[in-house]
Amino acid sequence: MDKTLFYEQMAQILDAEEVKPENVLKDFETWDSLAVLSVMAMADSKFGVAIKADEMRSAVTAADLEKLVEGKLK
Amino acid sequence: MKHIFKHKRISAIVSVVPREEYRFDDEYPLFKLTDDKARRFKKMIGLDRHRIAPPEVCSSDLCLYGLQQLLKEGTLKREDIGALLFVSQTPDYFAPPTSNVLHGKLGLGPDVVCLDINQGCAGFAVGLMQAFLLLEITALPKVVLLNGDTGSKQVDRCNRISYPLTGDAGSVTIVERCEAENPIYMDVKNDGSRHKAILIPGGAYRTPASPETLVIREVEEGMRQNLHHVSMDGAAIFNFTMEDVPRQVQEVLAFSGDSLDSIEYFLFHQPNAFILQQMAAKMKIPPAKMPNNIVTLYGNSSSTTIPLVISHNYPAEFLRAQHRVCVSGFGVGLAWLTMVMTLGPLTTCRLVEYEPV
Amino acid sequence: MNFTFRRKRISGILTVLPAREQSFVDDMKNFNFPEARSLKLKEVMGYDKHRIVEPSVCVSDLVVFALKHLFEKELLLPDEFDALILVTQSPDYFMPPTSNVIQGRLNLKKDLFCVDINQGCAGFVIGLIQAFLLLEQESIRKVLVVNADVLSRKTSPKDRNSYPLIGDGASITVVERDTVDSVIHANLKMDGTRNNVLMIPAGGFRRPSSPETACLEDVGDNNLRAKDHLHMDGSAVFNFVQVEVPALIADLLQHTGSSIEQVDYFFCHQPNRFMLQKLADKMRIPHAKMPSNVVENFGNSSGVTIPTAIAFNLGDRLIQEKFKVCFAGFGVGLTWGAMLLDLGRVNFNSLIDYA
Repeated sequence: MDKTLFYEQMAQILDAEEVKPENVLKDFETWDSLAVLSVMAMADSKFGVAIKADEMRSAVTAADLEKLVEGKLK
Repeated sequence: MKHIFKHKRISAIVSVVPREEYRFDDEYPLFKLTDDKARRFKKMIGLDRHRIAPPEVCSSDLCLYGLQQLLKEGTLKREDIGALLFVSQTPDYFAPPTSNVLHGKLGLGPDVVCLDINQGCAGFAVGLMQAFLLLEITALPKVVLLNGDTGSKQVDRCNRISYPLTGDAGSVTIVERCEAENPIYMDVKNDGSRHKAILIPGGAYRTPASPETLVIREVEEGMRQNLHHVSMDGAAIFNFTMEDVPRQVQEVLAFSGDSLDSIEYFLFHQPNAFILQQMAAKMKIPPAKMPNNIVTLYGNSSSTTIPLVISHNYPAEFLRAQHRVCVSGFGVGLAWLTMVMTLGPLTTCRLVEYEPV
Repeated sequence: MNFTFRRKRISGILTVLPAREQSFVDDMKNFNFPEARSLKLKEVMGYDKHRIVEPSVCVSDLVVFALKHLFEKELLLPDEFDALILVTQSPDYFMPPTSNVIQGRLNLKKDLFCVDINQGCAGFVIGLIQAFLLLEQESIRKVLVVNADVLSRKTSPKDRNSYPLIGDGASITVVERDTVDSVIHANLKMDGTRNNVLMIPAGGFRRPSSPETACLEDVGDNNLRAKDHLHMDGSAVFNFVQVEVPALIADLLQHTGSSIEQVDYFFCHQPNRFMLQKLADKMRIPHAKMPSNVVENFGNSSGVTIPTAIAFNLGDRLIQEKFKVCFAGFGVGLTWGAMLLDLGRVNFNSLIDYA
């Protein structure tokens, strides 16, 4: 999985200069329901995987999301 | 479930929107959005303005106005009305059916079949299917399909998620038999196991209206609602629109022997600009073939969005000629229905503003 | 509008009624009316007992119970029907449709056409017409017509015009293609100018429910009800039934070249015994051919009364025998419809209690 692409996309979604794996999603002011949808859309369009609504809810950090996407790729 | 209908066509479409227009830029302080966040919302969801009916105007009033226009100009003759279908989630009453109320207001004859169907975002396609079913009865001249929703009455004005994208509208679609075979291919699916994805918990019989159901709570910052307001599971809906609907569209295209190239317009329900962009990308539909401006200009008015798409974007095209189209409605239920057909030329195709009579 | 359908048949009917029974004598305690006059009302109208749901029971609860019963007894398989038509005036929600709620609670297949139709006392005839229309589609083999209402929950116990006759219930009618070339005729009429004769004034979007619409008002003759409650204009309804229904049935019989003698049973909607007997007399139909015993035993449950009348009066006989029957439903809208068909040799025809 192209991790650089993933974190670039995350930065774009969260309107941040950079997003690091250890970053806690809730710490971003822009982490809201729209951002959740954007991540689901990004996973689908850039990585071809569908993340379920329930799976998103357990993610705390950006790395959790990355693992979620990577897990689906396998 | 797949069906083919033959010798049926849509002959006229009139969409009706309230005059009252509200702009997101004026409204966003209501839902406590910062300028930055408002800008993000606006861009992503495609928000700009929406039409909201005054409190005393019901969805049936919008439909009645449109129908009266058709009668007045002579496009539709009173005696040609064989059935009045009213598809809505905002009926005038629990009883009687709203179609019967309209039947009375129009002074129609006793042989006109009135039918109220409760349906939401798939309601235009469901209404068409019902019209096609009724037109199998040869004695029945034309079916008047009325779609109407005043969703603004089912959201709180201070809810940043639901209010800014909601619009009110009504539409009148005339459906009739035709000489040409004109096969219409469709698939309809329902999945009630996800019925809670879009739900109004209170106001009907499960949780009747009471002082408690009317209490407005701020469930999250800038998200005020009571039990009479729509509650949506955005992520679940997103999954639905990205998986179930595209699969159905592909199936119906295969069923009708069409391809992305042979379809000139993809006339889809308009939940919001973001979802539609994602759906188009997923299905590799060129954005030019899939209009996506109704939420931005009028708001999402549930089952009337497809008539709005047609009458706002392509009045000239559909008055002049016929076009191969794919119509898809999807939402509450969950229900999703896609059809492929040749649409046009129509005798009337326009969008009007409601004027109180 | 006249309809003709071919090669369709009813293959099973199940009616489910709430186990809770209320008697008119108990209802009387809520009326602000002299006891002797209430008892007179009981005698004339034919009121005795009626089935009323507990206040929390909804349409989907009754229907899910009925369908589970059919699945458990293997009278119906969960995946053998292709459409579920719910006809009701008392949905669980404004959204989603209650047919979807039922589908979800029973985990039914996705290739199921679910539709909620708002209709009342003519709802059995309307539901059957809808089923026949769907069965014209090749892909649809079997359809469930589900009639269900819990109108007691919107009826004022202090309104003698409506409460003593109201009942709750649900019915499942299985409709499928017939192997023989049977013909079913129907006739359906509407008059929306009289839409206010039977109505619930508040609770929809014309007049949303509010603390004011929940207030009981004295509507005359010591009857109390709120705008949220069902309002029946008794004399207008009576007049409607006596004028329109005989003409409707006469027209259907004439249209099909049939006579009253050829029809074994007239299963009419059951507003009350008084009205039905007057109707029978007016049309010169022997009382034995037109059952009128549903209200006194179970109450008037809107679109469910015809299935209830069939189950209560014919029961298992309908499994062995076949009859020429006429259905007539009439009420809210106003809507009135009649249907002439052969009914019988069904797989089931019974009445069960919801508990």
